[in-house]
Amino acid sequence: MHRRWFTQMPLFLALAGFTAINLTPIIWGFLISLKQPVDAFAVPPKLIFTPTLEFHYQVWVEKAFWHFLINSAIISVSTVIVSVSVGTMAAYGLSRLSNRTSRGLLFGLLAMRMFPHILLAIPFFLLAKTLGLINTYPAMVLALVAVNQPFTIWLMRGFFVDVPHELYEAAEIDGCNAWQVFARVALPVVRPGLWVTALFSLLLAYNEFLFALVLTGPDTKTLPVAIAEYGGEDINYWSLSAAAAIGIMLPIVLFMMALQRHLVRGLALGAVKG
Amino acid sequence: MLFPLGYAFWLSLFDYDLGSGSHAFIAFGNYTDLLSDSRFWASLNRTVGIVLAAVGLEFCLGLAIAYGLYRLTFAVRVLNLLMFLPNIVTPVVAALFLRWIFMGRWGLIAGTLISLGIFPPDFLGDPAWARVAVVLADSWQFTPFMILVLYAGLNTVDQSQIEAAQIDGAGPLTLLFRIMLPAIRPLIVFVLAIRLMDAFRFFDTIYVLTAGGPGTATETITLYTYALAFRLLQVGKASALGVLTLLFVAVLVAVMIRVVYRREKGAF
Repeated sequence: MHRRWFTQMPLFLALAGFTAINLTPIIWGFLISLKQPVDAFAVPPKLIFTPTLEFHYQVWVEKAFWHFLINSAIISVSTVIVSVSVGTMAAYGLSRLSNRTSRGLLFGLLAMRMFPHILLAIPFFLLAKTLGLINTYPAMVLALVAVNQPFTIWLMRGFFVDVPHELYEAAEIDGCNAWQVFARVALPVVRPGLWVTALFSLLLAYNEFLFALVLTGPDTKTLPVAIAEYGGEDINYWSLSAAAAIGIMLPIVLFMMALQRHLVRGLALGAVKG
Repeated sequence: MLFPLGYAFWLSLFDYDLGSGSHAFIAFGNYTDLLSDSRFWASLNRTVGIVLAAVGLEFCLGLAIAYGLYRLTFAVRVLNLLMFLPNIVTPVVAALFLRWIFMGRWGLIAGTLISLGIFPPDFLGDPAWARVAVVLADSWQFTPFMILVLYAGLNTVDQSQIEAAQIDGAGPLTLLFRIMLPAIRPLIVFVLAIRLMDAFRFFDTIYVLTAGGPGTATETITLYTYALAFRLLQVGKASALGVLTLLFVAVLVAVMIRVVYRREKGAF
């Protein structure tokens, strides 16, 4: 027992130390958001100060960041709905194809995953411009669905492959048609996987920056674009943009805390099974 | 998905300038232009350097931490969860956080050093330091991902093999390098391939952190493409650059997959 503590304790301390370093930027950002600008760029860095929520209020209410939050919400939720439903059906189809055929398609999907997004941003921008879709929600949602699709299909397929074949056969013998086999048998079995996929699509859509930068306008700007415009350039804005940054981060962290087990398992699964 | 790609390739054959409105077919003119463009080669070099440094650091650190977590018998879940946080933070927000850390004079590092009486370099204003900052920024965000995947991989290694090795007197390091790493080699290649692909299109963080500067010290290929398309409005040339990037990454990944395939069949 003694010997175990001897090796476990330093290990724990080392890992905890790493975690602490890892979290420093986030904690520091949080502290800045509670500081007056004077305190925020004091040298040496101040750890003791009077906290204020003034800037959180200013950025979300007076600078109308709530408006960008609504944009972000509309865009990410629509993306999730479209890409998960399409992805689920495609993945189900793939999982029931013979190995040979589906392997080719899967490699194709993997290849799509490595497209530099910037390469797609140009045609998306020109298409949206000719169709008059710049600064509208559909343009953004379509672009996000397009880049997200390979991932959703890939992940969902991992879950469908686990469904035993006998289940399908039994359903067919009982007289289910193809659609019923999918909707009544396969779908309920993979429901946990569905949540994982939805969660990741949501993260991707919420965090996306490049397409949002190019495709959205004043009315549809999402949170990442809005905060990037504030930048960190002008020191007087530090407290404001820190408040916004913390606000943007909050929903993600809450989501993750709530769905922690699914998230980690899903990521590990998606990667391990590849 | 294929349509935009085809359209991008089609665009890359034109001298298409949104600014002056010119739109002429020049076949592979854009490509020959780029290949003789020193800014292109410089940005390619930089990208490769940054990507290799970042992915290498992420992998070594990630492996060490994952193995540490594997050996640890308590508090693993809490640590794992906390460590994972930087990976899910919106990249733009993450870059802002890091700006406040690296910023010259007022950033956390600089501020701390100054109060200790050391005059620090301007981390984002000095070309060499800016590159280091970019590498660290990418590592900060993606080491957690490595840790997670490798940790999951280590846990899949056959327990009886490990016990057999331990009975034979293998220490922790021998165990890791001789038994566990060979066992999860396909996973390692896979995760490296994924990270390489992603790191090549790494955009948000650099855009916010340094915007490619100072000068062009941290301008990667993706940032150069963005500048061409949406600042200089040379859409044709930018598309050509995008196609070249795609080819480059594709060849890289194909080689990696080939190597694994030859070594052990059925890895993918």
